[in-house]
Amino acid sequence: MSRLIAAIVILPLAAGLHSASAQTRARPPARPAASAPANDAAAGRQIFDAQCAWCHGNEGDGGTGPNLHGRLRHATTLASIVEIVTAGIPGTDMPSFRSPLTERSIRQTAAYVQSLSRTTARPARGNAQHGAALYDRIGCASCHVIDGRGGILGPELTSIGSRRGAAHLREAIVQPAAAHPPGYLVVRAVPASGPAIRGIRVNEDVFWIHIRDASGEVHTLQKSELKSVDREIDASLMPSYASQLGAADLDDLVAYLTTLRGDKP
Amino acid sequence: MTRTSAAIVIAVALGAVSLRAQDGQWLMYSGSYSSHRFSPLKQLTPDNVSKLRPVWVYQPPGTGSLESTPVVADGVMYVTSGPTMVAALDLRSGKPLWEWTRPIAASVLNLGFPRVNRGVAIREGTVYVGTLDGYLVALDAKSGIERWTVHVGANPTGHAITAAPLVVDDKVIVGISGGEAGIRGFLDAYDAKSGRQLWRFYTVPSPGEPGSDSWPGDSWVHGGGATWLTGSYDPALKLLYWGTGNPGPDWNGDSRKGDNLYTSSLVAIDVETGRPRWHFQFTPHDVHDWDANQIPLLVDAEIGGRARALVVTANRNGFFYALDRKSGEFVYGTPYAKQTWAKGLDERGRPIEIPGMEPSDKGTLVYPSLQGSTNWSSPSYSPITSMVYVPVREMGSVYYKTPAEYRPGTYYTGGSEKRLDEESWGAVRALDVKTGKKVWDFALPSPPWAGVMSTAGGIVFSGSNEGNFYALDAASGKPLWQFQTGGAIRSGPMSFLAGGRQHVAVAGGHALFVFALGE
Repeated sequence: MSRLIAAIVILPLAAGLHSASAQTRARPPARPAASAPANDAAAGRQIFDAQCAWCHGNEGDGGTGPNLHGRLRHATTLASIVEIVTAGIPGTDMPSFRSPLTERSIRQTAAYVQSLSRTTARPARGNAQHGAALYDRIGCASCHVIDGRGGILGPELTSIGSRRGAAHLREAIVQPAAAHPPGYLVVRAVPASGPAIRGIRVNEDVFWIHIRDASGEVHTLQKSELKSVDREIDASLMPSYASQLGAADLDDLVAYLTTLRGDKP
Repeated sequence: MTRTSAAIVIAVALGAVSLRAQDGQWLMYSGSYSSHRFSPLKQLTPDNVSKLRPVWVYQPPGTGSLESTPVVADGVMYVTSGPTMVAALDLRSGKPLWEWTRPIAASVLNLGFPRVNRGVAIREGTVYVGTLDGYLVALDAKSGIERWTVHVGANPTGHAITAAPLVVDDKVIVGISGGEAGIRGFLDAYDAKSGRQLWRFYTVPSPGEPGSDSWPGDSWVHGGGATWLTGSYDPALKLLYWGTGNPGPDWNGDSRKGDNLYTSSLVAIDVETGRPRWHFQFTPHDVHDWDANQIPLLVDAEIGGRARALVVTANRNGFFYALDRKSGEFVYGTPYAKQTWAKGLDERGRPIEIPGMEPSDKGTLVYPSLQGSTNWSSPSYSPITSMVYVPVREMGSVYYKTPAEYRPGTYYTGGSEKRLDEESWGAVRALDVKTGKKVWDFALPSPPWAGVMSTAGGIVFSGSNEGNFYALDAASGKPLWQFQTGGAIRSGPMSFLAGGRQHVAVAGGHALFVFALGE
């Protein structure tokens, strides 16, 4: 399953509901403890493979979610990992698993995640310093912001290394269309007269659509005056850099991106 | 059917509420016992609706999504907000005459639904509201002072009330939420004057009762079947029609092999005794959380040259059903949205399931998503166009199965989903009531949570997640007017008369918007 699945909803929503915030009531972890039995971690690995690897990658190497090896950004103890798996992390894509997982399953999953965090973070192969130079040379900054500098057409990358794994970053460079993040849906609108407008959907309601084209201009369009509006679910405005970058350069650029872990004040 | 007879059909005689719906009131959640959410008012027409303007906005205390349909009776509007709050509003100015709030602690559970309230019932100067912590409260309609309070379901085990109660004669009928917490669902009737319980119908039979053989072992104890949305009523047959929710656990059916009656069903219940007269199960042994908590529409229509008293419903599972409302006999059923789990329905209306569509460890892609092809958002039926207007959700999900373990006051679901968001969309879909076939579609950018209202003036009103409140031509679906409310619309529109003028109300975001023609 690819990025077409843009949102993860773990809540049951049986009553027609999609208020994650309403469900994230703090509750004490089932068994607060500094560490967990080894058999918990083994059981947790199975749950992780089914429920977590989709974002965090096989063996926690990262994907659309962060790499879980080495020091975790939001949790340092087993209890805090349990709390995050239970309640999610507000303001991020990490959902609550209170509904799909039992307390025991959450504890086992947390034990496995803790075991991952105790292994050394595997640095992405490549030369990050050279990757930074490449980033400047091939013009990434024309579309992406790092530390407040750069273009706004693509996602900000200031902390991308703490939110995405190396494999996903590599895919985003080589096959951007297969890896565009939520909020970067490409649409194509055909006015009654004049050329088609293609770009990122900035906003849409029943009657209006706002499209940012490749030049950065935002078009405000009334749908009743359009011949058609089509979603290009498998598209991205970002070109593939597969042919511009050799294997070593690609490694270097990915290595650089994984170092971008900026925390905003 | 003529317009005059249509108005008679929707008119309700509601005890001591002195006026009828065509006098410009809106006396219950769905507008009438038939639940058509159809206004007999005709002042607004396709020719003049473009002049609709906001006349006042009410913002209740607190925050969160406003999902209430107001009730208008005897010149006052009663609207609710979450977690549990009722306001009585002056129709002309929008100013509160009183506001009543039940203190709801942060520890009160809402497992599987937001902290909302969807409306009140009213009878003889008393307003009835269910509470998030599982009580039914009677309030004096003039002052908001409490007359009585009864305990309906224990919140520490996940019971809660978000739906509007339904008043029938001297009874208050109220359903219960908690299908994700492993409750055993029920429907209750209370004496309107005293609050004394008159009967309780359990939607999951205990051992020895009819249907109990569809539950192995003690799986029935936490079998679900919540009754979390208001039902309908036929005064001639004295039958309530109430939808029931998913079996528990939602997505892992291993512990409950069998059909799991009467979950994901429509049950016709004798209003005097609380006993089931018949049931129809849309999704036997549901493992996709396809509650049948949609509003059933009681419709009279000629099918195959024969006049039929029907109950029709667009189910969460993607099929539209027409049943004989006296016997429960399956009349017809047809898909009305994309579904990938059943080849069709057999001659008795039972789905012919496609193997391998169950949730799995690695995920199973199925249409519709767990939120269904439609959900609690109200449909509407216009006896003038003979069309059913359904808020349709076109969305698929990858369904996962996980172990389930019952622990009181926690989720008992056994799975999860990943939604296919970017390719999802929505519509208001007009269906011919005689066939269930689509007549027209009005497309929406995302699967809606807004209900639909049709009017005798020939208009269909509904809303979008993106904040649009809009009017369509009931015959063609052509858009006629819209207003951007600035917040997602997750409520059903209604209409009433104030000062002799037709008004339309809808909640958007955390505010209630009221519109009338510009003067």
